Amino acid sequence: MSDESLWLGRLRRPVRFAMTAFAGIAGLIYLWLIANAFLFEDAIDMFDMIRPEGRFIVYAMLVSLGGAILFASLYLSDSQGAIEQKPDGFFDFVSLISSRLAMIMVAFIVIVMFYEVVSRYVFLSPTLWANELSLWIASFVFLFAGQYAMQQRSHIRIYVIYDMMPRWMQKASDVLSLALLLFFTFALVWGGYSDAMRRMMRMETFGTAWDPPLPGTLKPAILIIIILVTIQAVSNLIADWNKAPEHHNPADEIDETEIEKIRKTLED
Amino acid sequence: MELVELFAFLKVGDVATLSVILLVAMFFLLAIGMPLGFASAFLAVMVLIMKFGPELLFSKFGHGPLSVVGQAVYRQMTNYVLISVPLFIFMAALLERCGIAKDMYNSLNVWLSRTRGGIAIVTSIMAVIMAAMSGIIGGEVVLLGLIALPQMLRLGYNQNLAIGTICASGSLGTMIPPSIVLIFYGLVTETSIKALFTASFLPGFMLASFFIIYILVRTNLNPSLAPLPEEDPDAPKGSEKAVLFLGFLCRFTLWLTGFLLLRAAFFTATGANVVQEGVDPIALGMVSDIPYIAATGAIAAALIFFVIGRDRAQTGWEMGKGLVAPIVVIGVVLGSIYMGITGITEAAGMGVVAVFVIGLIRREMTFEIVWDSLMRTLKSTGTIIWVTIGAASLAAAYTLAGGPTYVANSIIASELPTMGIILVMMLIFLIMGMFMDWIGIVLLIMPVFLPIVLKLPVQEIGFLGTLEPKYVAIWFGVVFCMNMQVSFLSPPFGPAAFYLKSVAPSHITLTDIFRGFLPFIAIQLIALSVLLIWPPIVTLFLG
Repeated sequence: MSDESLWLGRLRRPVRFAMTAFAGIAGLIYLWLIANAFLFEDAIDMFDMIRPEGRFIVYAMLVSLGGAILFASLYLSDSQGAIEQKPDGFFDFVSLISSRLAMIMVAFIVIVMFYEVVSRYVFLSPTLWANELSLWIASFVFLFAGQYAMQQRSHIRIYVIYDMMPRWMQKASDVLSLALLLFFTFALVWGGYSDAMRRMMRMETFGTAWDPPLPGTLKPAILIIIILVTIQAVSNLIADWNKAPEHHNPADEIDETEIEKIRKTLED
Repeated sequence: MELVELFAFLKVGDVATLSVILLVAMFFLLAIGMPLGFASAFLAVMVLIMKFGPELLFSKFGHGPLSVVGQAVYRQMTNYVLISVPLFIFMAALLERCGIAKDMYNSLNVWLSRTRGGIAIVTSIMAVIMAAMSGIIGGEVVLLGLIALPQMLRLGYNQNLAIGTICASGSLGTMIPPSIVLIFYGLVTETSIKALFTASFLPGFMLASFFIIYILVRTNLNPSLAPLPEEDPDAPKGSEKAVLFLGFLCRFTLWLTGFLLLRAAFFTATGANVVQEGVDPIALGMVSDIPYIAATGAIAAALIFFVIGRDRAQTGWEMGKGLVAPIVVIGVVLGSIYMGITGITEAAGMGVVAVFVIGLIRREMTFEIVWDSLMRTLKSTGTIIWVTIGAASLAAAYTLAGGPTYVANSIIASELPTMGIILVMMLIFLIMGMFMDWIGIVLLIMPVFLPIVLKLPVQEIGFLGTLEPKYVAIWFGVVFCMNMQVSFLSPPFGPAAFYLKSVAPSHITLTDIFRGFLPFIAIQLIALSVLLIWPPIVTLFLG
C-alpha cells in the first residue's frame, strides 16, 4: 500500500481518528453486551440487534459499528492498492469506497462463519443467525464486487477481434457496449422497480428464525448498485477516451507487483 | 405508446429464429469486446422482447415479464454456496503469500532427489497437494513456475518437459476437489456439489498419475532429459531414506491419533457422541472408535521406539515437516466437507482461518498481506460473479422462451447416435475453451447441453459399463471439468501459458511454452477418453 493520499488530502487524519474512535466505542459496547449475556437471562442478543425498538444500547452499537466500517472504508479508499490502477474517472472514488466496504465485509464473513462453526461444533450451540448474516453480507459483497471490477476494468471480455480494430472502431464499439448496458439497466429498473419498492416499503423479511430484512434491502440494492455500475461504465468511457489503443492478452490478469511480492516471500 | 409500437417488429414468435438471433447477437457483442456478463444481461432483455414484444414489456412502468431478470439476479445473490467462491479465492491468495509452498517443495524434494526426473515428479505431487487445498488455478502455476522451474532449468532438464509438467500439473487445481469449476457446474445444474467432488477424485488422480507415469517413462528411456543433481555425500541413501520417511509417517500418525483421541474424549465429556437413533455418528469421534485410534497410535509409537529409533524419527520429521501445514489445510477443508462437519461454504471459510493461523504461526502474516489478498479476492469475485449474474438472467429468460427444451427436442428428434452427439459436444467445449473462460462456458452452454445429455438413452452412454440414470449429470460435470483442463493449456489463449510466461526467464517464448504443452494435452485427451469410454469410473466412490 502506498502512503500517498488519493483524494482525502488534509481530511485523512480526521477520518482516521473517526475510524479509530468509532471502532473503539463499538468494541466497548460489544464487550458490555458480552458481559451482559453472561450475567442476565434476557440480555440483548442478535435477535434484538436487527429489531432495536427503542433500546438505546442497540442503536449505539449499530451506529458505532456502522461508523467504524464507514470511516474505515473512507480511510482505506484513500490509498492505492498494489494491484490497482490509478483512479482517473469522476466516479472512481465512489467505487473505491464501496470496494473497501466490501473488502472489510469479506473478512467479516470469515469471522461470522468461524464463530458459527466453533459454537456449533465445539460448544454444541449453533447460532440461528450466522448463516443468514453471512448470506446478507455476501449478497452486498457480490454487488459491490461488480462495481469494483468495473472500476478496475477487469470484467471478462474477449479481445481477439477488438484488438485488431483501428482506434476509432474500438471507440465506436465501446460506445455501443455502453449504450446496450444503459438499455439493460433501464429495462431492469423498468421491470423491477415496483417489486423492489414494495418490498423495501414493508422491509420484507427472509422468513427464517432470525428473519433479517434481506429481500427488503437486497431487492432495491440490486437496482441501485447496477445503476452505480452503469455510472462507473460511463466514467470509464470518458476517462479512457483519449488513451492510446491497448492490446490485451490473458497476461493482463497477472500483476507484476504481486509476483514480485510472492518471489520475495519465496526467497526468505 | 407510439414509440413502443415502432419496435413491434422485434417480436419473434418462433423459438428457432429467436435462438439463431441470440447466437448471432452473442457472437457480435463478444466480438466488439462487450464484457461477457453485460452482453448476456442485455441479451436476456432482448430475448424477453423477442418473446413478448416490446409493447407488453414497456407498457406499464414497474411491471411485466422484465422482472424475471431482477428475480434471476436476486436468486444468485442469495445463494449460500456462491459465498464459497470469494472465500476460496481469499484462501488461495493468502496461501500464495506465505511460504508454505516453498517448504513443501523442499520437503518433497528431499525424498525424491535421487529419482530420475525427481523434480518433475515433485512438481506434480506438489500440484496435487495444492489442488486439494484450494480450487483455483493461476496461483499454482505461478508458484510452481517460481519454485520448480529455476531448479529444473539449472539441472539441465529438458525445457519442454519442465514447462509442460509445471503448467499441466498446475492446472489440476480445478480437477481435484475442492474445485471452483465443479462448484459452478453444481450451481448451474442443481447437482450435489459434494457428489461432484467425490466423483472427480478418481479422474483427477488418474490424470495426475498419467502425468507422473509419462515423466517416469520419458526420463528413464532418455536420461539426458532429466539429469540427476550432484550427489550430496552427507545425505541419506536409498533404503535409509525409506526408513526416515517411515519415521516421519509414524511421528505424523502419533500427532494425528493424539488429536483424534483428544477430540473423541472431548465429545465423550460433552456427551456429543452419544449413540442416538436417526443421528449420524460423528466420524472417528464415537466412544467405540477410541480403541482403534489408540491402537494405531501405539503401533506408530512402537515403530519409532523399537524399529526406527528416536533419532532417525527425529531426522525424518525434520526433513518432512514442510508437508504438515498443507496436510492440515487439506484436513480442514476436505475433512470438514467429508466428515459432515460443515458444508462447502463453511469449509472454505475454515480454510481461510486455517491458512491465516498457519501464517501467524510462521510469523509471516501481516495486515498488508491480508489486505492485498482481500483486494485480489474482490477483484476476481467481481469478475466471476457478474458473469454469473448476466448468464443467470439470460438462462432464465431463454428458459422462459422455451429455448433449452426446444434445442434438446430437436437434437433428440434428429436421431443421431448418442456417442456422436456427446463427441460433438466435446468438440464444442474444446473449441470454445480455446477462446473463452470456463465460467462463460459453464454458465451459458450448460443450461442448453445438460438437458440434451439427460434425455439421451443412458445405456448408450459410454462403451464399457453403464451409468445409473441419477449419475448422468454428475458424470457430465466431471467430463466437462476434464475438458476445461485442456482449455487451460490449449493455444492460443491457454491461461496457464500466460501465467508461466510472467515468471519464466525471458528467453522462453510463448511458442516454446505451448510446444511444451503438446504431450500433456495428449495425455489430457487420453484421460478424457477414459471418462467417455468407461463412464462408471466416476461412480466408484459414490455409494
